[in-house]
Amino acid sequence: MRGTWCVVLGSSWLLAGPVTAQARPAVPAAPTVAEAEQVVSRLVESYGVSGMEAPVRDAVRTMLPSWARPTVDGAGNLWVVAGRGAPKVVFIAHLDEIGFDVTAIRDDGTLDLRPRGGFIPSLYEAQPALVHTGSSSLPAVFLPRDSIGRTPTRSPGAIRADPGTGSRAGTEALGIKLGMTLTMPKSYARLVGTRATGRSFDDRVGSAALILALRRIDPSKLTHAVAFVWSTREEVGLEGARFVADSLKDGPTVVLAIDTFVSADSPLELPTFALAPVGRGPVARAVDNSSVTPSRLVDSLVALARSKGIPFQVGATNGGNDGSTFAAYGVPDAPIGWPLRYSHSPAEVIDLKDLVGLARMVEAVAKSW
Amino acid sequence: MRWSALLFTPSLIVVLATPAAAQVVAAAPTLLVDRFIRMTAVTGFEQAALDSVQRLLPGARRDRAGNVVLDRGTGPATLIACPFDEVGYVVGGIRADGWLTLRRVGARAPHALWDQYHEGQRVTVWGRKRPLSAVVGVRSTHLTRGRSQGDTPFTVDDAVVDIGAADAAQVRAAGVALLDPVAMLKQVTHYGNELVAGPWAGRRSACAALAEAAKATPGSGRVVVAFLVEQEMGQRGLRTLANIAGPFERTIFVDHAMGPAGTLIERTDTTVARTLPGLGAVTRVLLPVRNLATPVETVSMEDYEALRARLGAMIGGAR
Repeated sequence: MRGTWCVVLGSSWLLAGPVTAQARPAVPAAPTVAEAEQVVSRLVESYGVSGMEAPVRDAVRTMLPSWARPTVDGAGNLWVVAGRGAPKVVFIAHLDEIGFDVTAIRDDGTLDLRPRGGFIPSLYEAQPALVHTGSSSLPAVFLPRDSIGRTPTRSPGAIRADPGTGSRAGTEALGIKLGMTLTMPKSYARLVGTRATGRSFDDRVGSAALILALRRIDPSKLTHAVAFVWSTREEVGLEGARFVADSLKDGPTVVLAIDTFVSADSPLELPTFALAPVGRGPVARAVDNSSVTPSRLVDSLVALARSKGIPFQVGATNGGNDGSTFAAYGVPDAPIGWPLRYSHSPAEVIDLKDLVGLARMVEAVAKSW
Repeated sequence: MRWSALLFTPSLIVVLATPAAAQVVAAAPTLLVDRFIRMTAVTGFEQAALDSVQRLLPGARRDRAGNVVLDRGTGPATLIACPFDEVGYVVGGIRADGWLTLRRVGARAPHALWDQYHEGQRVTVWGRKRPLSAVVGVRSTHLTRGRSQGDTPFTVDDAVVDIGAADAAQVRAAGVALLDPVAMLKQVTHYGNELVAGPWAGRRSACAALAEAAKATPGSGRVVVAFLVEQEMGQRGLRTLANIAGPFERTIFVDHAMGPAGTLIERTDTTVARTLPGLGAVTRVLLPVRNLATPVETVSMEDYEALRARLGAMIGGAR
């Protein structure tokens, strides 16, 4: 997919086929924890390293309401536009996840890798791996370092993978090629209460929130068009979102990135900021490394949450968000997240109640802003 | 162990030990090797796993140490023994905020990165009511940026385990108590040229080979096949067996060691023979592995088959 996104096809919202009045089933009640779990677990168990998001995009598409007419733009972003006219409000959550791609195949069949996105390399050392060929996922292992010794460093240096063939020819015979992506196998698991763990909650939770909200929106009742976008290549520089911003330019009045609020809610973190406890509701990501939300929008989100009875937090954290790409067109960004522990690790932890609250916030903003 | 009946229920194994990714690839053959690798048998807490092993061996009994012992024939005795335990952890503390801390079990870690392989990974807490999925906490990548980071390895003293509880009361309500065993999620990876990877894959594959070989009818003499507890705690299971069931004329100690695929490792062990004279002459028969003592310790299935055949021949012609 990389290399094709620069082909601008015009205003994506027009391609997206805005939906207004059609016969459609009744809008369901507020999402439950069970529905949230069903949606997010399916997304978490799909694989999509930056640039190879198709499996996740397909999973999103299958869970949309029947009225939705999703389209894909030249950057691989998935769009659903609800309501008539050009989108005034844009929600954007990203499809991709961190991982690796293959940069070389050695004579012994092992693979040299390049990280895609930021993470702690030691978490991958000597763990199971999957090579994603596009048509299948082949099992492999991330290799341990060559020698440990008595006083090793924490960091393993460059990570390599072994598909276990013993030769370059054997590896190539499996269909493994340069540029293919690797991840670690993952699964969703419920923890105590309403908490859950899995890898790539960042940003499958945001993606799930958009699906859950869309299921509760009757596009014929919207007073203006709202775009729901699942973006590509966020983890490698907000690339998909930049394509979206360039498509819409200064048309929207606001963009809301629906992405992780990396929380300091763990004994391992400094409590100096980002202390939004898991389970206490979605979070206005008011300050991060890419944007500062105008105070009037933060206040508006807080008031909206209060009026809907949605537990809501406000905080500052680290990281960039897709909505910040709209800054070049003067469109304000009001990102909303949910508290996440252990970001970009195989052991990310959420509270499903926060996902329910996040979906309700997206729905409320779509209907009222 | 109230959860022992659940421990090896196939459906539960799927839920706890098989990541979704395993469903992505072609289904791996269901082997005793897979089953043994997926078992958790933290040193001193092997009972549930060895219950399952015992059920595979008609006529086997448990001795006072908890070893599974299959004792057949009469005359000069040969012991063929495989340790079943693993270095793991128990709940060392329950914090007021709901996180658990750990105490490693086993005389020592296999190497200086052993604990680090658990950081930021899924583990299972074998609680009093049921096994619970949990994770070992790690600092968020985003929150480490711009902050000083040391480069010393993660150790057990850095570990906080998150079961999803908001406080200590929720931990207790979930059935988790001090000293409950904790072990890394047992993922089995079949890959490449007939390779199988997983935590303790070498030892468990060696034990699987012995369990299969034990189906052979013993030749002449007495043949004792044993699956041992607490090898990682001063060889307690082996010591007990030597003192209670011995003396043996000879002992075949089956385990694993780092080595190239294609050749079983056999060597005389005079040290153990001297320390535990009840064992008689001791020979180590070792399954070669790569990625030793990692979550992806790897065994060749060809070597597994060779070990199974070798042990079968030893049992069938014990004298």
